[in-house]
Amino acid sequence: MNWTWFHQLGSPKSFYALTSQWLPWLVTVMVISMTAALVWALLYIPPDYQQGYTTRILVIHVAVAGTSLAFFPLMAVAGTITLVWRIKLADMVARNAATLGAWFSFVTLATGSLWGSVMWGTWWEWTDARLVSMLFQFFLLLAVIALRSAMDDNDKAAKACALLSIVGCINVVIIKYSVEWWNVLHQPNSPVGMSNSGANGPEFWLPTLLMVVAVYLFLTVSLILSTRNEILHRERKAQWVRELLAAS
Amino acid sequence: MNDIAANPATSESAVPMLSGSDLYCERDDRVLFQGLTFTLAEGQVLQVVGNNGSGKTTLLSILCGLNDSFEGKINWFGKPVNENRELFLASLLYLGHRIGVNRVLTPLENLRWNCALTQPVHKSKILKVLHSVGLSGFEYSQCCILSAGQQQRVSLARLLLTRAQLWVLDEPFTTLDTDGVELLEQLISQHAKQGGAVLVTSHHRLKISNLQMLTLGKQRA
Amino acid sequence: MAPVTTGIAGTGSAFMATLKRDLLIASKRKNDMLNPFMFFLIVASLFPIAVTREPQQLTDISAGVLWIAALLASLLAMDSLYRSDFEDGSLALLLLCPQPLYFMVLAKNLSHWLVSGLPVVLVSPLIAYMLKLPAESYLPLFLSLLVGTPVLSLLGSIGVALTVGLGSRGLILAVITLPMTVPVLIFGTLAVQEPRFGADLAGYLAILGAQLLAAIALAPLASAAALRISVN
Repeated sequence: MNWTWFHQLGSPKSFYALTSQWLPWLVTVMVISMTAALVWALLYIPPDYQQGYTTRILVIHVAVAGTSLAFFPLMAVAGTITLVWRIKLADMVARNAATLGAWFSFVTLATGSLWGSVMWGTWWEWTDARLVSMLFQFFLLLAVIALRSAMDDNDKAAKACALLSIVGCINVVIIKYSVEWWNVLHQPNSPVGMSNSGANGPEFWLPTLLMVVAVYLFLTVSLILSTRNEILHRERKAQWVRELLAAS
Repeated sequence: MNDIAANPATSESAVPMLSGSDLYCERDDRVLFQGLTFTLAEGQVLQVVGNNGSGKTTLLSILCGLNDSFEGKINWFGKPVNENRELFLASLLYLGHRIGVNRVLTPLENLRWNCALTQPVHKSKILKVLHSVGLSGFEYSQCCILSAGQQQRVSLARLLLTRAQLWVLDEPFTTLDTDGVELLEQLISQHAKQGGAVLVTSHHRLKISNLQMLTLGKQRA
Repeated sequence: MAPVTTGIAGTGSAFMATLKRDLLIASKRKNDMLNPFMFFLIVASLFPIAVTREPQQLTDISAGVLWIAALLASLLAMDSLYRSDFEDGSLALLLLCPQPLYFMVLAKNLSHWLVSGLPVVLVSPLIAYMLKLPAESYLPLFLSLLVGTPVLSLLGSIGVALTVGLGSRGLILAVITLPMTVPVLIFGTLAVQEPRFGADLAGYLAILGAQLLAAIALAPLASAAALRISVN
């Protein structure tokens, strides 16, 4: 198998060049799918017999929540690449993934509690295992960001955060199962959960699916954009960045 | 400086004990050294010199394997260090800026632990060595009441207790008095004579025969 | 000079030597041993003052209070695990010894738990009495802390190893470590509370035990890697 593409992508310069070609396409597809999903979800989903129009919030919530689960695995993979192959680009991606992941987790929590405020009559409910484990994933992402900002040596910070991401990834999985178990044992009579509720017909999951695609595209685009920014910052002394800046 | 080939200890084996080729290291976007190549053969003492901040300590910790932020090759008897890490570490004695002497333990307890990690040594031997580095009477006192120079002497005792072939000493002379400096110079020469190798950073002009120099950064005028 | 191939210390004896050394240091620094213990006592005594004096309400919260107090005590004690070794350079010696670093880290973790974690476990039934924990929960509390606090130490060790080189450690250690302890806290408190309602204690202890085994297998590897990053 030919690995040159992998190494090429690993160099900041060619990543920058490659993504310059991809970005217009990605952004176009993302904008179209996002608009379509939003319009469909917020205007055309019929009211659920049990939850009424709140399922429309759920479309966004489910898509963002599903996507935010991808961050720790992503950071763990990037961390492994940083520690084993010492490719600087992996750390740049990981760094931005942590910040983005924290925002995604926050939006998940916010939309979740918005939905909860209607369905449960309260903004926060400890009996929903998903929200609780998302809360701790949020905390762990903030911990990675905090560790990064506490270290002033870039190289050390990269390795330390890479390691913490790998540990955190394993931990998030354990937390997820522990919290679910805890819920089952502790509170047998939990209120309406988010998953097993009525909203599961095709009129619901089709726009959700589209939304998931749109959110993943949004994630990819924002990650690429912030990584490009980071590349320009870290490589500001390199010849090609200077030429690029002089040309613009 | 003597010629390397003139040393009988090196002529028997053509492969140097430790060699670095094309070493490159940068820190905070500043290149500390690049294209650095050196060899250290048995019986040789290599003094690394350079201005403050020229990367002497970094080079030493890279060679020991404490720091892996570098590019280039480091060979141990002609083979990459990583392939034979355990044997390399068993043959290495590292004495850093921070000398590795715990303040609440006594010199005896400190050395006993040091030896236990590499080659266990009997207590009587440690006491004898403490005497020869000028610490008799302090064997059982906590290291926090010793002066900086005396604590440094505790770490020098490790040189007498080890069977390691390669000594890597980072600024070992700083806190020593004239007697201490003389003692250490003697230890280094003796080690080289027995076919060991020493890598040392210092701003002192060492009174050691067969001394090689490795200059980092710009050479001083 | 012949290459050193014989007489290298075995991993077992190096493990024991490191364990003994750390216990020796702890015995000379009684404060390090006493402080977590005192902290545990004080924090646990603050809850009745701040929350309630009603025996029934105390009974309801006691399991959680005891576990959180033990968690915080173990966290506060962690900071001393690698700090003095980092500052005096012993840590570099440990990293450069020919034995696997995993076992050296495990030895340090074990000795640290013996001097800071075990006393907390031993005194817990007394505090449990003061907090009106039902008598039948003493054994579950004791056992769950006995199995659970080493996990806290092993997890904390990763956080300390990552932050030992930082000038201002401050609260970063807590921010990193506390979220990771959630699974231990969940099953630790369940093990104390649930047997009263007929659940099987052994099941919870088994889960805590599984966490302990996983932590013993994996956490020292992460700590060792973190130490290599910090000593640089």
